[in-house]
Amino acid sequence: MNGQVEVSICYGTLCFVMGGSEFEMIQDQLPSDIRHLVLVKGMNCPGYCNSQENGKPPFVTINGKLIGQANLQKVISGIMGELANGTDK
Amino acid sequence: MAQTNNATLIRREIITRLCRLFAEGRLEDIDRIALAMAPRNAQTNGSRCCIHKARAIIKYRIMALLGFNVADETDELESLYSYALRALAGTDRGEGVLTVVGEACTSCVKSNYVVSNLCRGCLASNCMVSCPKNAIVMENGQAKIDSLKCVGCGLCKEACPYHAIIYVPIPCEESCPVKAISQNSEGIEQIDYTKCIHCGRCMMACPFGAIMYKSHLISILHQMMKADKPVVAMLAPAVCGQFRASYGQLVTALGKLGFADIFEVAQGAELTARHEAEELGHVLATGQQFMATSCCPAWVELTEKHLTQLKPFVSETWTPMRYTAGLVRDKYPDAVVVFIGPCVAKQAEALKYPGVDYVMTFEELGSLMIARGIDLQVFEVEEQGAVIPERQFAASSGVLNSVAAYYSGEQIKPLVISGLHKKNMAVLRRLATGKHDWNMIEVMACEGGCLSGPGGVSSPDVARKLFNAQSGVHTEMLVQ
Repeated sequence: MNGQVEVSICYGTLCFVMGGSEFEMIQDQLPSDIRHLVLVKGMNCPGYCNSQENGKPPFVTINGKLIGQANLQKVISGIMGELANGTDK
Repeated sequence: MAQTNNATLIRREIITRLCRLFAEGRLEDIDRIALAMAPRNAQTNGSRCCIHKARAIIKYRIMALLGFNVADETDELESLYSYALRALAGTDRGEGVLTVVGEACTSCVKSNYVVSNLCRGCLASNCMVSCPKNAIVMENGQAKIDSLKCVGCGLCKEACPYHAIIYVPIPCEESCPVKAISQNSEGIEQIDYTKCIHCGRCMMACPFGAIMYKSHLISILHQMMKADKPVVAMLAPAVCGQFRASYGQLVTALGKLGFADIFEVAQGAELTARHEAEELGHVLATGQQFMATSCCPAWVELTEKHLTQLKPFVSETWTPMRYTAGLVRDKYPDAVVVFIGPCVAKQAEALKYPGVDYVMTFEELGSLMIARGIDLQVFEVEEQGAVIPERQFAASSGVLNSVAAYYSGEQIKPLVISGLHKKNMAVLRRLATGKHDWNMIEVMACEGGCLSGPGGVSSPDVARKLFNAQSGVHTEMLVQ
């Protein structure tokens, strides 16, 4: 069941330079047992960086939920959280 | 290598803020950057004692970004705005390329050997007995090492039956291939510029980000603003692995930033490869055992300052940067020439030879794009036309492969030295003895080549992946 969790990475230059480059390796870093459940996409800058309320870059959304100052570990635990929620239902 | 960690991200934020102030004509607010980044009542992230310390560190980081050697400070109250004005006026900004931000240096440990609390204060006290310098005393039932007497031989560690003595590295000293960085009497690291080869390894190793390169950025921005001469960029091939963008998109971005023209350094690399192939044929025919590449400035400086016995074997062919600068001057004789790359040592090379005025890192380029609101993603991707194969100079083995493509003569027996770490330094030391049958040696100071340079944006794995996807050339490591 591909795409149970949708991860969108901001490909804007600001997010990329401020740490987002690490997400280029996300497919290799995902635990192999959940890799097939995650759909990783890129997005053009949606402008999250324009509002301080959103926190600091880089920005990633997981099933539409915004994560600021994202890094690989944060995103992987976010995905795990979504997967756990999904099986509760 | 460029790593994504808090130390690099803070540096990028500071560069961005500096570029923004410059663009808005508000350089007089430069002393406020530290206040904005460490506001009153803010929590420090734990690695600094208080915001005042954090602010002081930011101030000295900016001093380095303005191109000054932090160690040259004479008046603690001199404002950053004053430094900025001096930088714009073109004053001498001190020696060296790398500079230690003393405030940020936490003077790791005085001695590499530390007695942990696993020490049982045993009767045998093998540590004390084995110490040749009488540096160990028993205090409150535990051994203690006197750092003033300790010479770091490690015999005590070997002697302890409880493994209670541990080796604690000093990351910058450990990473320096030429012992050019050491603690002063206050325990703060200092760089000996007669030894330093500007490889940037200490800067990448320091977990506190206490070592920075003296930036040319402010001078470059100033030249663009003055606009009396064309400011021309030379883009190093490693750029293809540094951003999520095609080469064409990067060229568009550089144009928008204000560069009058953009030259690809791979053009110069082609000339380097052709000349070096010819030189290799000539050199081997005259009976010389081997030849080494000349494109990595840190490596060349290593042979000038330390492994002098290898200097005669280094190719006399110009680097891609020098050839490319020649191409720029042919077209724009009065240009201000800016090399944009991942390299810190290129600054030293640019000082040595005429032709290149300033050096800028990819990290600075990325931060400048942020400051000017430039997003590479929105530029149209053009169809990739013919690609200069010498783009592969950016990756380890790439120079050798390029030279081999133009070479005809006796068979090349290649050795690739990728990174000036301890093991490779030992290999290089043995080279001069002549007891080997390699005849062509490629040396790059950074593991994996320029893709992993200290001034990069992406970490080495990411850089290699993006480079293979975007550069149009594929890099394979030759067997070592």
